[in-house]
Formats: sequence, C-alpha cells, structure tokens
Amino acid sequence: MFDFIKYKYVSITFSTILIAVGFGVTFGKYGGFATSLDFDGGLRAVVEFPENVERKNLEEYFSSKNLEAVLVLMDKDKNDYQIDIGLGSVDQIKQLYVERKGKDSLEAKQASAIDALIGLLQEDFKLEKKKILSANQVGSVVGAELTSTGISLLSLTLFFIMIYLSFRFQFKFALGAILALIHDLVITIAFIGFFQIKPSVPIIAALLTLLGYSINDTIVVFDRIRENAGNLRDAFSQIINISINQTLSRTFNTSVATLISVVAIIIGGAVELYDFAYVLTFGIILGTFSSVFIAAPLVDIYDGLSKRWKRS
Amino acid sequence: MKSVQWIFVPILVVASSLTLLYPNFAERELELAVRKEFKQLPEETRKELLTGFAERWKADYNPKGDWQIEPDPNIFPDQDYYLVKGRFITSAKINQLSQENQELILEPKNKLRPTWVEEYIFGGRPLAIRLGLDLQGGMRVVLKGDFDDYTSKLKDSYTKEIEELTRKKDDHSLSEKERKEAQDKLKEIESYFELTPSRKLAELEKAKLIIDNRLTNQNLTEPQVRIQKDQDSIEVSLPGVSNSSQILDIIRNTETVEYRLREPSDSNGNSRGIYHDAIELEEMKLMNDGRREETEIVRFQNIVKQKLGKDEQDRFLEAMEKKYNIPEKYKLYVKWSRANNPKASLLPREFVVLERAISLDGKDMRNARESYDQNRLSYYVSFSLTSQGAEKFFDITSKNVGRQLAIVWGDKVISDPVIRSPIAGGNAQIDGEFGQKEATDLANVISEGALPIPLNVLEMRFIGPTLGIESIEVGLKAVLLGFALVIIFMLIIYRLSGLVADIALLVNVIVLMALLSLMGFTLTLPGFAGIILTVGMAVDANVIIYERIKEELAAGKHVSAAVAQGFENAFWTIMDSNVTTLISGILMIKLGNGPIKGFAITLCWGIITSLFTSLFLSRMIMDLLVNKLGVRKLQIGFKKLESKNV
Repeated sequence: MFDFIKYKYVSITFSTILIAVGFGVTFGKYGGFATSLDFDGGLRAVVEFPENVERKNLEEYFSSKNLEAVLVLMDKDKNDYQIDIGLGSVDQIKQLYVERKGKDSLEAKQASAIDALIGLLQEDFKLEKKKILSANQVGSVVGAELTSTGISLLSLTLFFIMIYLSFRFQFKFALGAILALIHDLVITIAFIGFFQIKPSVPIIAALLTLLGYSINDTIVVFDRIRENAGNLRDAFSQIINISINQTLSRTFNTSVATLISVVAIIIGGAVELYDFAYVLTFGIILGTFSSVFIAAPLVDIYDGLSKRWKRS
Repeated sequence: MKSVQWIFVPILVVASSLTLLYPNFAERELELAVRKEFKQLPEETRKELLTGFAERWKADYNPKGDWQIEPDPNIFPDQDYYLVKGRFITSAKINQLSQENQELILEPKNKLRPTWVEEYIFGGRPLAIRLGLDLQGGMRVVLKGDFDDYTSKLKDSYTKEIEELTRKKDDHSLSEKERKEAQDKLKEIESYFELTPSRKLAELEKAKLIIDNRLTNQNLTEPQVRIQKDQDSIEVSLPGVSNSSQILDIIRNTETVEYRLREPSDSNGNSRGIYHDAIELEEMKLMNDGRREETEIVRFQNIVKQKLGKDEQDRFLEAMEKKYNIPEKYKLYVKWSRANNPKASLLPREFVVLERAISLDGKDMRNARESYDQNRLSYYVSFSLTSQGAEKFFDITSKNVGRQLAIVWGDKVISDPVIRSPIAGGNAQIDGEFGQKEATDLANVISEGALPIPLNVLEMRFIGPTLGIESIEVGLKAVLLGFALVIIFMLIIYRLSGLVADIALLVNVIVLMALLSLMGFTLTLPGFAGIILTVGMAVDANVIIYERIKEELAAGKHVSAAVAQGFENAFWTIMDSNVTTLISGILMIKLGNGPIKGFAITLCWGIITSLFTSLFLSRMIMDLLVNKLGVRKLQIGFKKLESKNV
C-alpha cells in the first residue's frame, strides 16, 4: 500500500511549481495567452487569389512581413482563401502600409487597418478590387461572451457543488473537491498558456469536459473515504490512504479508458480537434493526479487544522 | 429486479431508439430543387452549368457512386427537381450541392423526403440529427443596431404631437394647469428619444424576434439569433446558407407599413394639393413639349431601373423637395403602380406629397392576410388593428373625411384611397395593384412587424461546407476509433463483464443519440466533446461496479451475492459523482450559451442515459448471467478470483 498522505506536501509543492512555471512562461516569455480571432477579434479577409498563388506562397508572404496570419482555403476551384489576422499584427499592418505609401500621404494617414491590409494585398498580388470578396474588422464574438458568463458560471457551479457535497458528505470534503477542481482548471489554463494553444470553442469544450471529469474522479475517492470512515477505527489520514489505494485500480482503468477515446482523436487525425484533444489528454492525467494526490490530501490537511483549532 | 419480464424495458427502449435513429442510416430521397429561372439563361451558360454540375457530381459529391440521381445531372429535369437517392445524405452534403451550383439549384426549396418513421409516427417532422454551423458549414453575421437612424424615425412619428403640445405650452389663453400638462407631456416625449441601455436592449429584443420570424418564414433549417448586449448587436447563425446576400437583405429589411395623410386639397376639392399640382404642372409642360425623357418621373424611373440604390432615390427626392419649396411639414413620396396592363412591372408613376407625421404605423396593425378579389382580379391585404390602433384609425378617418390617406410600404406609396366615412371596428384592408407575391410580402411585413432598428453588418463569416464535411468525417472516424478501442480495452480487462459493459455502452450511445434527435438538438463540435465525456463516464460507472464486485469476490462471496453487493456498494458512488456533474451541466445550460450550452445538453442527457444503462441495464444482464444462465465464474482483472463457495 502506497502512502499518499505522507507525500502530500511533495505533491502540493509539485503542483504549485507547475502552476508557477506555466504562468511564468506564459507571461514571461510570450507576454500572455495566444490570441485568436474568436476571442480577441482582428481582421478577416476572404480573397480570391490568382491560380498560381498557393498556400505556400501566402505563408511565405506573411511570414516575410512578420505578420501572423491563419489561412483557410475556402474554395479550391476559385482559390479563395480566408485570411485571419489577430489583433497582435494589426499595428504591424498599418506600419507596413505607411512605409509603402510614405509617411505624409493622406491615403496612409486615413487608412484603417483593414484598408491597409487590402491595399497591401492588392498591390502585392496585383488583385482587382472585386477579388477581395470580403474584408472586415472582426469583433471578439466568443471571447466577449465567455468572459462575461464564464466567471459567474464557474463560481455558481462551484457553489452548488459545494452545497451538494456538504449535504451528502461533510464540509471538508466539499472544500477539498472544490479546491482540487480549481487546481485542475488553473493548471490546465497554465498549460494552454505554456504551449500557446489558441483559445477557441473546442478548447472551452475541453475545459468543461475536464471540469466534469475531475469532479467525477474526486467524488469516487471521497465516497470511499466516507464509507471507510464508518467502518474503520483508524486515524483519518490512514482511512484516506486506504481508500485511495482501494480505488486505485478503478481510477487507473477509468483514466486509461477515457484517455483512449481522447488519444484516438489525435491518432484518427481530426486536425480540427487536435488542440481539444491535447488539452483533454493533459487534463485527464491531471484530473487523475489531483483526485489522488491533491483532493484527498487537502481534506486531510483541513481535518488536521480544524482539529488543532478546536483544541486551542 | 430479479424478474425476467423487466428485460423488456431495455429491449423496448433500444427498439424505439433505433426506430428514432432510423432516418439517419436509412436510404433517403432528396429533392434537389432546380431554379425556374435557369431555363431563361442563354443556351451556352446552361450547358456549362450542367456540365459543371455533372462533373462535380462524379468527382466530388458521389465519388464512390453509391448515390443515384435522376435524371442524369447533364440533363435539366422535367419536374422541378433532381431526385437523389442514397444513404447518409447529410445537410453538409446538401449544402455543398446547393452552394457550388447556385445558379442551378434553389437552396430553400430542397426537400429531404421524410422516411416512414418521420411520416407516420411524427407527422412529417424531420428526425435526422442536425448538425451545427461548424459541422455543416454556413454563415454567421453580426449586425449592429443603428440607433441614430432609429431616433430620427421616432421623432417623425411624434411630429404632430410635439407641434400641438408646443402650441399649447405657449398658448397663454390656456390655464396654467393645462400649459403645465402640455409641458410635462412634451418632456416625456423628449425622453423617448434618449436611449438608455435597457431601452436599446428592448429594441434589440424586438429586432431579434422579428428576425427569428423572418428566417423561419424562409424555411431555413436552423437559424440561431442571439443578442450581444455589450456590442448593441445581434448575431445570426445560419447553418447551410449559401445565398448570403439574399438572406442578408431579408434580415436587414427595415421596411415598414405606415399610413400618412396626403396634403389637403383646396376647399372645392378640385386640386390634389398645392405642391402636387405645382409638380404636375411642370411635368405636363415638359410632356407637351415632347420632352418626356426630361420629366422628373421618368428620371426617377431610370434611377430605379438602373438599380442605383435607395440613397440615390432619396437624394433625388430631397432635391425635388427643395426645388418646389415643400415645407418641413410635408414629405415627398412616389406612388408605385402598374401601367394599365396587370402584368406590367411595378414602377414609380406619380409624385405625391404626404404629411411627415405618421398617422398610423405597423405597431397598430396585426394579423394581416392576403386574399384574392375575384371581381377586381387582384390581391388585397386585410388586417386587424390593435385596440389603440382602432381608436386612432377611427379618429383620423372621422376628422379627415374627403382627404386621401396614403399607405406607405417601405418608401413606396402603394395606394391612397379617399376617406369616404369614418372607419370603426378595427378591421381594414389595403387594396393596391398587388400580385400574389407582393400581397404576401406586405402581409408578412404587417404581421411580423418591421425591424425597429436598422442594422449594419459588423462582421460576416462563412464556413465552407467542404470544411464541415471533412470535420464530420474525421471527427466521426476519431470518435468511432476511440469507441472501438474502449470496447476492446474493457473486454481485455473485464472479459465477460467487459462484454456486459460494452453492451451497456452501445445502448447508452444509441439511446443518447435517439434522445438528442427527438429533441431536435443541433450537434456541434462541443456536443461531440459532451458525447466523449459521456462515454468516459459510462465506462467509469461500470468500472466502479466491477471493482466492487471484484472486492466482494476476493472476500470470498458467492458470485451471485458478490454481484448484488457490488452493485449496491457502487450505487451511491455513481449517483454522487453523476449528480455533481449533472449540477454543473444544468448550470451550464441555464447560464451559458452557444458552445457551452451545446456541450452541457449532451452531457446532461448523457448522464441520465448512462445512469440507466449502468445501474439498470448492466445489472439486469449481470443478474441474468449469474442467476438464470448459471455463470459461476466471473473473471475480473488478471488475478484469478474464483468464488470459493461454489
């Protein structure tokens, strides 16, 4: 039987370091999370390029100008590309345009970012005006929506779970579960920042999936602790330890089964869902880790503390 | 649960689920509607379009040749559709077909013929699982409300009242109290023009409702209309829409229906108003000189014919208002009608001068319907008035007998009958020179109401159908692969019990999909994620149960007792973990929207179905195996755990 409780501070320290490194790299090295059009807004143009222009050419073009652009081929026959340019590159576009037109030209002064983009593309690819099928400044559709609902949603969810768990178990379990949940979310967000994964709708789905999975996982362990607490006369930390060990093969098998279906997405080649799958893979491993090494040990720490408060 | 009869419950559930899912895998027939206008195209263009369609049919749409099309895509069909037969005709595919052949195929009229399940059990309601924008392609538009324009229009409708109240306010012959009242009322009206955020939101809500109605009337599969509060904008998602500009026009159409009084005629009733007569005189002069082309009305007609747009028309009218010194109180309009021939096109024929103040607007009218008048061989639109509207209408018609009351639709005067007598009762009708389509359109505008605020396109994006098809195919492949691997994993670890779990898992997914299609749920990528999590949780429930049985077996219990005890012990664990997840799911449905909601709906129903399959179905099968079929050994895990008491 492995003594999980004995190493509780080790595992908590490990988590803390993980969080620190994740956010350190996110903000220190990259200056924040990756931007995406869905979340932050930016420029979007749909352009019909001449036949001889291929994706490769376009990629070279944008990287040579130091612009971060996402290209989507909309129509193979017509060679229509959708070009997404994040907010980060908007200033660069304006600057390029000013350089091209000359500092004092009225054209450059009055041009909006989208005008600048169209101007550059038209000149560099010798496009007629009608080949620019659409060009828009895109607002942050998903981002605005999620930041407004996300936080209230999360806190309410945590609140209700807390009530349910306090009612079905005890307050200390509720607290442990919630803290473990926050722990999982925070680390996963750090992971997203560390690898500069672009926030998108599937990523939100992954975070939500993780939330569900993580709660589920933690409750199974807690349930066992509750059951054993009635039967055994051991110390509380001993009970926790026994319970974790008893549920270990279940935890392992379930994690493997769930992981299989997620990893299949990566093997199956659903490119659109890669980011989703990466975040989930990481999240499931983490969720499993936290239900064993974080949630229950936190309950133990709280238990110890509250006993000490009572005595004093 | 020892009773064998109970086995009919899951059998029944599975059978009805499969029936519900039948339309998804059955062979289906699609009527691919062709455009009537196609026949009017030049021969060469027609040929080119048809060959293009035939080539793409072979290469892209039907590379494996497992669909049939009648007639051959090279031939224009005799009936108004091509009939496509085959399995898995998804909406994404239908979109691709219509979008890439826009000049040949009329997308809104495409029809997937109902299967027998849909026809006989659900009265023609489509049951196939719907796919979201991200999976089937389509378009998304964000429209921003133009509140400046809104206020100016609003001011127009209060012109008369403001005028009257200002007069009262300054009229010293009135009592102090009356003047004060007028002043207060004036202030109140002015406050209408100030737009608070909540007012704006209310207007957006109205606009949303109207857009919703309009889109539903277009038979679009699944429009989603949402308000984005912080941006004063409305987001419209239209899965599968190809003809974007037409749809956009429909959405943004701010056409209204209003009644406005014409300028008064002279006391003898001989003229049709000073300004009208002035214009007419000028026009007649030009006509008599044989300079027809120079008349204002012909010039205006040319603007319309050349499709120079509404702005150009407005500019023209404004210039004319200046030229003829038409006072602020009146506004120049154009009456549209057909020349004597009822088949002639509707064109501007006459300038009319109307009061700027709106006598009665669309808000006062409702329940409009078009009908055919046998005697006059044309359509008319009848409608009823709200109680407030009926009062206003009676008031106007009784005060203005003998004057003309013009009906303005959008910016066109379509009819301007003389008021013969006061009209009471709240029912009225509009006779114009309507064809059926115009009458229907007008009736729609009245019934749906006009869009309260003009909307500008803030952002528009398309998701090509090909992208959607690829995502579905790959996504589905990935999910199936994952599913297969999980099934194998369970078989290896839990052997016979694993098989039971696998059956439960399969049933779970079937029932879940059936439920979702029954509810008309739209599947999106986040929805997929919800299903994956459901599979995970369903497996988990079985794993928990089996681990408990294993423990009981290890403790030396009889197989039958171990199974019973295992389920018992696992019950609350499974309940607790599922209920907590359910709580978060329900909150997500209540609070979240868009992607969060889609995910949460699949998750919540998935929890419910997996509770059914793991706690009820699995248990029943295990009971059956152990108690009826006499299975004496359950190998769970790799350690041999045989019951000692056999």
